[in-house]
Parts: sequence; structure tokens; C-alpha cells
Amino acid sequence: MMKKNRSYIDSVHFYGRIWCLLALCVMLLVPTLMSLHLKAWPDLGIVGKAFAATAVLFYPTAVVEVIAYAPLLGAGGTYLSFLTGNIVNLKLPCALNAMENVKVKANSEEGEVISTISIAASAIVTTLIIAVFVLIFAFNPKFTALMQSDTLAPAFKQVTYSIFGAIAATYFVKHWKLAIFPLAMVSLLLVFFGSIPIGILIFVGVIISLLGAQAMYKLKWV
Amino acid sequence: MFQDFKSDPFMFCIVIGVILFVIAQSLFFLIRAVKRAKALGISNEKIKNTISSSAVFSIAPAISIAVTVLVLSVALGYVLPWIRLSVIGAISYEVPAAENAIEAAGLSSGIGADITDPKIFTAVAWVMSLGCILPLILIPLILKKIQKKVTGAVNKNAKWADIMAAAAFIGLICAFLGRGIAGTGELATNDAGEKINVTIGDGAGILSLAAIVSSILFMLALTLLNKKLQWKWLEAFSMPVAMILSMAVVVLISHFAPGLAAIEWRY
Repeated sequence: MMKKNRSYIDSVHFYGRIWCLLALCVMLLVPTLMSLHLKAWPDLGIVGKAFAATAVLFYPTAVVEVIAYAPLLGAGGTYLSFLTGNIVNLKLPCALNAMENVKVKANSEEGEVISTISIAASAIVTTLIIAVFVLIFAFNPKFTALMQSDTLAPAFKQVTYSIFGAIAATYFVKHWKLAIFPLAMVSLLLVFFGSIPIGILIFVGVIISLLGAQAMYKLKWV
Repeated sequence: MFQDFKSDPFMFCIVIGVILFVIAQSLFFLIRAVKRAKALGISNEKIKNTISSSAVFSIAPAISIAVTVLVLSVALGYVLPWIRLSVIGAISYEVPAAENAIEAAGLSSGIGADITDPKIFTAVAWVMSLGCILPLILIPLILKKIQKKVTGAVNKNAKWADIMAAAAFIGLICAFLGRGIAGTGELATNDAGEKINVTIGDGAGILSLAAIVSSILFMLALTLLNKKLQWKWLEAFSMPVAMILSMAVVVLISHFAPGLAAIEWRY
């Protein structure tokens, strides 16, 4: 009876939580199995020290990422994206592109399902492509050399710019008034502080953009 | 290959298990979402287009993720980086996590040298895994609350909520575009272990600008073509096509004008 009364979105949360817990077990099982198999349990002091250094750096970012991306990804999209990773450079643009194509809004139920479909398809394809390519790398040094050649390697370093250029063309044409201020401010900031890590830069860019949009909304410019 | 303890057959079995888990979860959500989409009246054609365009969209970024496995494979073999970049991971996080663990173990080589001690290898595996699990704990606790707040804001003032959602994503886009226009690359470590700025092809320069500008132009041209010729089939694929074409421009510049390609104004 409970199942019948549960709305789609509630069931996404219900199953999403179960999958998250399972994923947590899988994540911890990987190093456990490796340690058992190699009969090599690491020194706790080393793990603790390195974990502290890593957590200080990335745990605050993780909190910000969950809060910032969840409204854009939708519930199903968030559960899926945070398991498979590569959110900002793949899952998020992929889902937004799909919602744009079907002309649905991120905060509607139609947006929720389209985002989930898009991210699920992306996760499957990405996982399989990584598997195929890593196997080729592992067994075919010639192919590895080709992928790391001076001709091909630069293209892979620029892939994020290729993604965001295409997205900018779609979003900036539609919302050019909203885009001018944050783009100018972020570029100016980078002129003085060029090495800001991308995680912080995204946070700053989003805050600047939201403040600018709020001001324009109040002034009735948008 | 299989002789290395980091990439032995058992390790490959672990990675196969992880891949099956990721695919099972994705299929579970995919099937349920497709059923719901049909119930909401979204046409089969739109659903199919969403799946195929998302698949095509993912090809080039997925290959670039696979290439980053190579960066970590020198020290860690193929299996661990493969798992880490298939689940939760992203290269910007995995490299510092691995380096922290290697450094804590007293090695100064970072990720540049092969790890031969299984105890150090498992230490790296534990740190990389523990360092990225926070979202899996956080999301079950707070996601529903976040979604409720967003729905509340949308119901209260839909126009404002739409503008804010667009602004948030535009801020994100600006961070990446800004980086390609004026950002410096990642710092590298020299032999003395100091962080130094070197040109390694990731600072703002000709290639990053070429990728951004050509991608924008291809996307605008494709959008215009779609409107003029009413090529419905192309509409869903415009973005991945623009992305791949702009990567081709980068390849052409690197191949035919390596001197030009090496120009970086921020490095």
C-alpha cells in the first residue's frame, strides 16, 4: 500500500537513499578488498594524516557542490551524478543540454525525468568508454602513445572549453544581460589572481552572477 | 601487465564489479524515469533523442577522462585510477588525494614514480576512497530538504526562480570561460619539490581561446542551420557536434601550427 501512495519524486528519494548507502559500501569495499588481497593493511597514521589533508581541501567543496548542483540536476540526477562523478565537466552540461532540447525547466517534474534520463545515459556511456579505452591503454602501448601525441593530447586538455563554449552560445544568446557582469568580473579577477583553483572560481562566479541577477531583477532589467 | 600487483586479475575483478554496480544503478533510474516520462506525456521521440544525444555528448569528455587515467597509472597502475575516475572521482581531486597519501608515506616522488610497496598502494587507495565519500553521506541527509526549498521558492515566485537558476549556471559557465581567457594553468612540482609555474598546455592561450571561440561559432552556426533547414534530427546533436568540431580545430592548430599552439599568455 505504501508503495502505491508514494509519488514519483518521493520514490526517487527512497531508492536514491538506498543506492547511496549501497554505493558507500562499495566505495569502502574497494580498498578493503585490495588490502585483503594484497595482505597489506596500510599504516593508520599515514592514512589519517593524508586523509585529514585531503578532507580539509575537498570536504567543504563537496558540501558547496551538493547545495549548488542539486537544484540544477534534479533529485534523480543528483543521486546518479554524485555516484559517477565528473559532474561539472560532463553530467551537468549534458543534463542542461537535454532539458534545453526538450524545452523543459529544471525545476519541473518533466525536467526531473529528462535530467535523470540524460545523466543515466551519460553515466552508462561514460563508464563503458572509460573501460574500453583503459583496456586499450593497458594492452596497446602504441595507441597510448598516439593519444598522448603532440597532435591529439592538446585537444583533450581543451575539452572543457569546447563544452562550455557550446553551452555559452546557447545560454548567453538567451540571457545575455545576465552574462555580461559575471563574465567581466570573473575575467578581471583572474587577471589579478590567475591561479584560483576552479572549485573556488566556480563558487565565486556563481555568487557574483546571482548577486548581479538579483540586482537586475530588482531594477526590472530582466 | 598482470605480473604487477596493482593490475593483477583480482584487481580487474574488483573494477568489473564496480562497473556493473554503476551500470545497474544507472539502468534502475533510467527505466523508472522513462516510465514516468511516458506517463507525463513526453513523446517517445523526445525520450529517444535525449538518450542518444546524451550518449553522443559524453563520448569526447569520456575519452578525455580515460586519458587522465594515464596520468595516475604511472604510480598506481591502471585499476585504481580506473575505479576512482569511474566512481565519484574527477582528476582535479584524485591527483592531490593520491599525492597527499604518497607524501604522508614519506615518498617525495609524488605521482611521477611507480609505487612498489603494497602498503603504500593500499594507503593511497584508502585515502582516495575516504576522501570522496562525503557526498554519499550528505545527499541522503539533505537532498530532500534542498529540493523542498527549491520547490517552495519556485511556487512563491516562478519568474525569480527561473532567473536565479539561469544565473547560477551562467556563473558556472563564466568561471570556465574566464579560466580559458585569463586563467593560469596548474602548478607543477620541480625536482626540489617546490611548486612552480611552467607551460604545460593548460594555461589561457591560443588553444583554450580557439576551443572556446570555435565552439561558440559552431554552435551558433548549427542553431541557425536548424532554424533555416528545420533539421529536427540535428537539433538534439548540435552541442556534441559543436564540441567535437571545436576539438578538431584544436587538433588542426596543434598539428599544422605547433608554434602558434604553444602560445599561452597565462601559464
